[in-house]
Amino acid sequence: MQKAVILPATSARPLSLGWIGRIFPHIILLFLTFTSLMPFVWMFFGSFKTYVEITAGKTFLPAHWTFDNYTQITQRVGFPQAFLNTTMVAVGVTLATLITSAAAGYVFAKYRFWGKEQVFTVLLSTMMVPFAVVLVPLYVTVANLGLADKLTGIIVTGLCSTFGIFLMRQFMESIPNDLIDAGRIDGAGEWWIFSRVVLPLAKASLSALAVFTFLGSWDSYLWPLVVLTSPENQTLPLVLAGLRNLYWSRYELYAAGSMLTVLPVMIVYMAASKYFVQGIAMTGLKG
Amino acid sequence: MATQTVLSHTVPAPRRNLVSTLAKTLRKPQFWFGFIVLFPVLAWYIWFAFGPVLRAFWMATVKYDLMNPQDSKFVGLQNFQQVFSYPLFWISVQRTITFSLYVYVGTLPLALFVSLCLVAVGQGRNFYQSMIFLPVVVSYVAIALLFRMLMDPQNGQFNQILRALGLPTSLWVTGPNSALPSIAMVDIWKGLGFHVVIITAGLLGIPAEMYDAAKVDGAGPWHRFRFVTIPLLGNTLLLESVIMVAGTLQAFTNGEVLGCAGDSCFFISRLVYAEAFTNLRFGFATASAFVLFVFILVLTIIQVRSLKPDWQY
Repeated sequence: MQKAVILPATSARPLSLGWIGRIFPHIILLFLTFTSLMPFVWMFFGSFKTYVEITAGKTFLPAHWTFDNYTQITQRVGFPQAFLNTTMVAVGVTLATLITSAAAGYVFAKYRFWGKEQVFTVLLSTMMVPFAVVLVPLYVTVANLGLADKLTGIIVTGLCSTFGIFLMRQFMESIPNDLIDAGRIDGAGEWWIFSRVVLPLAKASLSALAVFTFLGSWDSYLWPLVVLTSPENQTLPLVLAGLRNLYWSRYELYAAGSMLTVLPVMIVYMAASKYFVQGIAMTGLKG
Repeated sequence: MATQTVLSHTVPAPRRNLVSTLAKTLRKPQFWFGFIVLFPVLAWYIWFAFGPVLRAFWMATVKYDLMNPQDSKFVGLQNFQQVFSYPLFWISVQRTITFSLYVYVGTLPLALFVSLCLVAVGQGRNFYQSMIFLPVVVSYVAIALLFRMLMDPQNGQFNQILRALGLPTSLWVTGPNSALPSIAMVDIWKGLGFHVVIITAGLLGIPAEMYDAAKVDGAGPWHRFRFVTIPLLGNTLLLESVIMVAGTLQAFTNGEVLGCAGDSCFFISRLVYAEAFTNLRFGFATASAFVLFVFILVLTIIQVRSLKPDWQY
């Protein structure tokens, strides 16, 4: 089967295996598109069904559309507060990561100083350490700062991103030195060059990083689970996961909660999927 | 300071010049910009990255005293001894490795196959790619709850489909034997898009002349795949392999939220979490995390040694 699709690496040329070779990949990809979307479609319709209907599992579309699940979830479980918390953390972490990654990436790409490569390697090496190793010590660090059970406890550990610095350095290295030097000759300050010359050029990479960071922070589970203990401080994934203890097998509530958690992510993704896919391909190639 | 971006001079200067060199450096605007950027970043790294790693080393070798941490007694490798003689640890190791194997064996060929399909279609590639990528961006908690619904042993959609096809139904995550394959299936479904994007980028990076040359030499589609695509994809496949092994061995959320039968999805990360924050055994938890670290490190080195292509282009 695989033979049919291998042929040319260049996309423009037609396949030499005739119409089967041309149709076959589309069939496979359409099938995968279907399997990727279908669970979300079930989730969407499920969130408008009643408990009886969803556990009977006979219908695909809701027999009677009901908003009860959403009202129940927003009134009895702290979803609005969790939504606010998650937004604050995700926005804070994303803004901070963009600033630190862009600035440090620029310095590591364009400045020359003693020990630069060594420092950079040491920074990169932190990516090798599994999160489980620092789980407890990082919690102790945050708790010692008095930030346990506080949203700032999550934000403070997300101020810098090794991946972000790496990504921005990769990009900044492709900016011609002449552009920067031209600015210096004209007497521009370093800050002016960085903010007016370098940053506008890095818009695409920064967008990719912003989307990555925002979604990563929005979806993150383990670390907030450790730090945020009181219900009013929890983020969406925590409240959502808590539903399974509060309401056993109430799939219609799970579905409604999941919809509220997933919808913003889908919107961000749909608006920026171009940057997202590019960003992964970029790091994948260079990595 | 015309053309160079010099933050400080590295050349070993004669001693009498040291002061003037320093003064010169301090006058450079580049020095100040670099300093203002790097100082907070490095301070953050010391506080929130290197510090915790060092603290982890210390924690794994002491009997952690929750009330007075600084009074914790050094016990050497005793925590590790306890970890290795703890039956649940070996269960978690077995679960983690099995899960990792399922996902690895399921994802890599599938992702390669889908990427080849993507490269073969000219039109609609971006559309397909962004659709297949969709599950990657969605919260794992939402996905786990969603699949709890779909995999419900009574009336879940999966069993209904099986029944409609006249096939035997499954207990999915609630069955002791079917739990790990089921959870691996969810993981493959969620992660596929990520791996497809990386492999597709790698495939598109293979120069077309390579295929043309092979064609001229009379290589059929299979030979071109075997002797052009696979070798030239070497670096990408190595990266994929390393990412997948390190990622799956750290699995946590899916096992936690999907509701597996008994301890069938009790992964090492869950052991670390439970020991630390349920049983409050910080030293034990961190020691078991180190075992995971060493395991991942060794596997990564083996992969790099054995899979690293010996060519450059």
